[in-house]
Amino acid sequence: MTDKLQALQELIPELEKYPAQVQDNFNKAISEMPEALSDEQRSDWLKQGIAIAAQTVRSWEAAAHFFQVSPKVIASMPYSYFVRWMECGSSLCEESPTLASAYFEASPATMSKLRSRHIESWAGLGDGLYKGTWKSSTLACRFFAESPTLLDTLSFQQLENFANFLDALSHRSYDLSSECLTLGEQIFPLVGEDKDAFLSLATTLVDTGWREVKSFFEAGAKALPKIHPEERMRFLKLAESLVNNGGTNIPGTMLEISQSLSLLEEDNHHIVLGFAETLLDEEPLAMPEFIKSAPIVLEKLTIMQLGRWYQEGVNTLSQNKDGGLAFFKIESSHSEAVIETLSSGIEFDRIKPVMEMYCRALAGAEIKLSPTDALVEKNIGWVSNESPTTEGSTVFVPTVVDRYASKEENYAWFKVVSTHQVAHLEFGSFIFEFEREAELFENLRLDLEKRRIEALQNKQAEDLSGADEPDNPEISQDQSLEAHTGLERAWLTDMQRFFDLFEDRKLSLDIFTVVEDGRLDARVKAEYPGIKSSYIQVQSDSHENRPDIKELPAREAMVEFMVRLSLQQYEGVSAPSKYSKEASQVAQIARRVLVSDATVEDTAEATLRIYAIISAIPNEEIPPDDWNDMDFEDEDDEDYVDPEDMENLLEQIGMGMEMELRPEGEEEYESLQEVEYRGDFKPELAQLMTELRMQEQDEMSQAQGEPLTQEQLQELLENSAELDLQATEGEIQESSGMFADNIMKEAGANMPQSPDDSQGPFVHVDEEGGELEPAEPETFVYDEWDFRAEDYKPRWCIVRQKTMQEGDPAYFGNTLNEYGTLVTRIRRQFEMMVPEMFRKERKLIDGEDIDIDDVIENMVDIKTGSSPDEKFYWRRNKVQRDVAVAFLLDTSASTAEAIDEGKNKQDDWDAPDDPVEYMVWLRTRRGEQMRRSYKRIIDMEKESMVLLINALEAIGDTYGIYGFSGYGRENVEFYTVKDLQEGFSDKVKRRIDRIAPLHATRMGPAIRHAAYKLDNTDARTKILFLISDGRPQDRGYSREGVEKEYAVHDTKMALDEAKKQGINSFCLTVDKNGHDYLKTMCSDMGYEILDDINDLPERLLVLYRRLTM
Amino acid sequence: MTTQSLYKSFIIEEYQLEEEPYYVPIHDEVELFEAAYKSRLPLIFKGPTGCGKTRFVEYMSYKLGLELTKVTKDDSDNSGVNLPLVTIACHEDLTGSDLVGRYLLEGDQTVWLDGPLTRAVKAGGICYLDEVVEARKDTTVLIHPLTDHRRILPIEKRGELLEAAEGFLLVLSYNPGYQSALKDLKHSTRQRFVSIEFDYPPVDLEAQIVEHEAEVDKDTAYQLAKLGEKIRNLKEHGLGEGASTRLLIYAGKLISEGIPPRRACQVSVNWAITDDQSLQQSITEIISSIFE
Repeated sequence: MTDKLQALQELIPELEKYPAQVQDNFNKAISEMPEALSDEQRSDWLKQGIAIAAQTVRSWEAAAHFFQVSPKVIASMPYSYFVRWMECGSSLCEESPTLASAYFEASPATMSKLRSRHIESWAGLGDGLYKGTWKSSTLACRFFAESPTLLDTLSFQQLENFANFLDALSHRSYDLSSECLTLGEQIFPLVGEDKDAFLSLATTLVDTGWREVKSFFEAGAKALPKIHPEERMRFLKLAESLVNNGGTNIPGTMLEISQSLSLLEEDNHHIVLGFAETLLDEEPLAMPEFIKSAPIVLEKLTIMQLGRWYQEGVNTLSQNKDGGLAFFKIESSHSEAVIETLSSGIEFDRIKPVMEMYCRALAGAEIKLSPTDALVEKNIGWVSNESPTTEGSTVFVPTVVDRYASKEENYAWFKVVSTHQVAHLEFGSFIFEFEREAELFENLRLDLEKRRIEALQNKQAEDLSGADEPDNPEISQDQSLEAHTGLERAWLTDMQRFFDLFEDRKLSLDIFTVVEDGRLDARVKAEYPGIKSSYIQVQSDSHENRPDIKELPAREAMVEFMVRLSLQQYEGVSAPSKYSKEASQVAQIARRVLVSDATVEDTAEATLRIYAIISAIPNEEIPPDDWNDMDFEDEDDEDYVDPEDMENLLEQIGMGMEMELRPEGEEEYESLQEVEYRGDFKPELAQLMTELRMQEQDEMSQAQGEPLTQEQLQELLENSAELDLQATEGEIQESSGMFADNIMKEAGANMPQSPDDSQGPFVHVDEEGGELEPAEPETFVYDEWDFRAEDYKPRWCIVRQKTMQEGDPAYFGNTLNEYGTLVTRIRRQFEMMVPEMFRKERKLIDGEDIDIDDVIENMVDIKTGSSPDEKFYWRRNKVQRDVAVAFLLDTSASTAEAIDEGKNKQDDWDAPDDPVEYMVWLRTRRGEQMRRSYKRIIDMEKESMVLLINALEAIGDTYGIYGFSGYGRENVEFYTVKDLQEGFSDKVKRRIDRIAPLHATRMGPAIRHAAYKLDNTDARTKILFLISDGRPQDRGYSREGVEKEYAVHDTKMALDEAKKQGINSFCLTVDKNGHDYLKTMCSDMGYEILDDINDLPERLLVLYRRLTM
Repeated sequence: MTTQSLYKSFIIEEYQLEEEPYYVPIHDEVELFEAAYKSRLPLIFKGPTGCGKTRFVEYMSYKLGLELTKVTKDDSDNSGVNLPLVTIACHEDLTGSDLVGRYLLEGDQTVWLDGPLTRAVKAGGICYLDEVVEARKDTTVLIHPLTDHRRILPIEKRGELLEAAEGFLLVLSYNPGYQSALKDLKHSTRQRFVSIEFDYPPVDLEAQIVEHEAEVDKDTAYQLAKLGEKIRNLKEHGLGEGASTRLLIYAGKLISEGIPPRRACQVSVNWAITDDQSLQQSITEIISSIFE
């Protein structure tokens, strides 16, 4: 024992050979080493340390670390393992002291997480990463250092895999490997149960695309948290399959997919991933597209319906890969159609055209239909995004209706909503006139107004005599008093005048709304029996969303009571027992207007009476037992007589006392929530808008009356109960000011505006983008045909229609002079076409009259006994010319080719795809052309147009001349030189001068637009004449592998569409190589290739004559 | 035993309306017509298709005929009740000889055959040229001498001038709806006529007409009339013509034969007036709102 201790003691001086730190650490450690350790073990330990220190010059550092951590390490394992630990360290140190240091340093933390038997393997992992280089050493050290953290989440087996992965990666790049090590620390906690999957995917990636590994880790770190924890493994498997199937940009795809998944409800991840997995068997590339589209589709479909959409996509995919891909990207019409069919919701955009016409028909006025949010954006007082409403000229309806399970029900709801809003216009909610007699009630309005004014005058007089304090003038009150006392007071609207009768505007508006809505509903049901059943359904469904009447304070309960009645609930309507007499009075009055001859004035009279009754009821809580269920007859035949106490009640209102008489401490009256299908009813504002519009129109014709001022408007808005201006005084001023501003604008906004010629700047939209919307005026959007997918790409191209700038009119005359003789000849030929319209045809069996010569011949035949020719009638064959023709000129850059240099005319196909390079390419090409002085193709086109105009003016055909060019699908330029309806003028002459080569040739949309123009022209014969110099091409007007065919097929489809619209097309080209594609493009239409461009003007005219005869 | 004729055929000027045609005056057209007839002023009826122009002419010929008969009661020969009414549907190929008459060969001689216009002029009835803009302009010039104080019809081929009989009146109808630049009446023609504008009757009257003509109940008739009114609101929005009273009557007849109203309107109104799908849908919505 002592020997051993002795041995230890003897060894200690060995340590002195090394820097003091070694000895210090040893001294510190020995005291911390467990007591149970035998001296022999201790000295072995010391020997081991010395051996380490002795290995190389720098290994003392490792030894220092060794001593430092030993007490901690030994605490977590039996001595036998400790020995193995020491040996591992020692052998590591032989490799590299730095490595050993890292090993020792990481050991205490690692050992607590590592099973003792894995010590050697662990050391081996680090050792394996060390390749003797500086970088590998760093990596290995870091591996040791990170091990404790990694082991928090990884099993040792997985750690081994990870180390192997790092090793594999390090063969490619140490830096990358080391970065992945760091990222691994972050990512493994997120991966959940499936580190194996993740690791194996990562390892696969090293083989297939090691450069992506880092982004894969980064993407993983971002993507995984977005996915339901249980589905993460499947997500990774999907990514792995993509890798195996040769997918590229896996990290990007992962991010996109996870982003899409994060938009879904987590519960749906399972199902969506399930579909995605099966899709992998069909077409791996479609899988990411499917997941990316899933959130969009699920906005419209339920998860079950998604399955059917998916199935349809798989079917498409099996027939046509591109079609299937486009389907899953929702870039095909078929896909949209399937979604639409499956979806139970009704989308405003889809049914707008039909419903708008429907509303117009019903109202008999130019009604527009808009989504509700459009109204809110206008900021003129309507604030609810959901409620349907109308402001007098436009009916606003929700963007999407998805309240019921079936499309039919949703549609019925939508129709009821629209019908109700239109009813406001059809049955005159806004044509209220204060002084017009009501049909069903005795008129009390004027009487009441008189009383109000008297009462106010008296009050004012009292105020003036009683309180003669000039320094206390409440300006606003003064003004309002003046306003009421001055009999000449000008109300902006009659509606405003009516609501001015009541102190409690909110209550009066609510009553008016319920009564008027009830009247309209009754009227609609009477006038439109067809919609009655849906209407009743919607009404009874509305009950469910009403507040519980018994929880409302009395006055609100009375209003709710009316709402229930107006929704056709006639049995068991609760009303406070205390006020059941009032309730039945109210019911009686309200139901008076449910007849077809009731007018809005009746509503007003009813409102006035009901207001009188209800405003006298205190807004107090009613105990749950004090309620009565009331029943009513379906028909109410009793003659209505105003109740006796009505006089008293009106007296109070007349005095403006109803607010003051209310008991202290009652609850403040709150408006009830509106009935959903009836939406937001703002009679005052709507009438105001209507009148403002009229005023605006009057101003257009003649200045009449005083225009409305901003102040008046603001005052109306501030008093109106229709605006929710809850705020301090200043803010009310502000927001009513804003509303007033906007209202003024809005009223003027519907006036025709001068056309704005300015076009927005070029916007670059990537080909991979989605659908486009024509946002600016004079832009049109068209589909594009993708022949590989065999479907249209919906709303794919934007055509920007512009009028050609004007140049020098002399060009026209000069050209005519240049072609002097030709011009006269052509003109004569064309003029001859006119008499040709009445050719006399002889020798007919039947006709206008007999031809006397033929008859004589016939008679002669008879006399001579030969068989006579019975065809002796003649008739004038009337060829009525009714021709409209659109000339579509290719003004692409290639038309700048000089015609003499036809030989070296190369295909445009070398145009670079990159937008920047493309522009450079264009510019150099154009630059080249500029230096040439001889004629270009475009010049011949221009000259042909001049001659053509000259000829066409002789025969009076309708014709239009357009140039087209463009750059990318969002910038198809369509220049009008002469519109179809436009007469020939100097302007046209000037414009011809400015026709110039521009960009590329995207023919499809240009043809579609020209066809659209022809379609809107009234003519028996419609011709589209396309003059081009080469094949269609444009940036992005192609698909990989089928560059040229794509454009040709779209063009062909555009021509076919035109044909379906009854438009004959003819293509004239100067491209000598044109046969190959023209055969496809114009398979069943006429086309001609000009051998010599110089023939263009003459040939064009000959062709034109032939086409139109 | 006499063989029953398989069909009824009349000589053009002897065709008689046996019953008074049903006609509900909308404005003062009856008075106008009567006044114009007294001075033998020719008339043009303008109005959309199916609004009752032809029916009005029939009605007037019957009505005026009655008055004539009353006046000439003692002439027992005059068994005719109404004024002869010769209706000529104009079309593009209608030539002058189609109106005036032509020579035909019969045996070894030529025979002159009067055209419908000539016969009306001779018989002294109302000659009604329906859709006159369809006829060629050179044809319409033929009627000029008949329309002014001369009241003559030159028959060039025979070298005759035919003076119109006492009762003769020329009435033209045309539908400004299809007006295209090519098809309009020449001013020299137009300005020879008194123009009466026709339009579809207001809802109540139209309901009354539909009720009578289609023999449907009052409610159905009213609903049909309302349908007509609503559809006509769409006239500026893609509908060339609104739903005519005639179509509404067709629909009513189908309904009274037991076809469900929505279906009847679909086939007789909706599909008759437009081929535009979206418009058809809109009209379907209107129909389904109005009819159960």
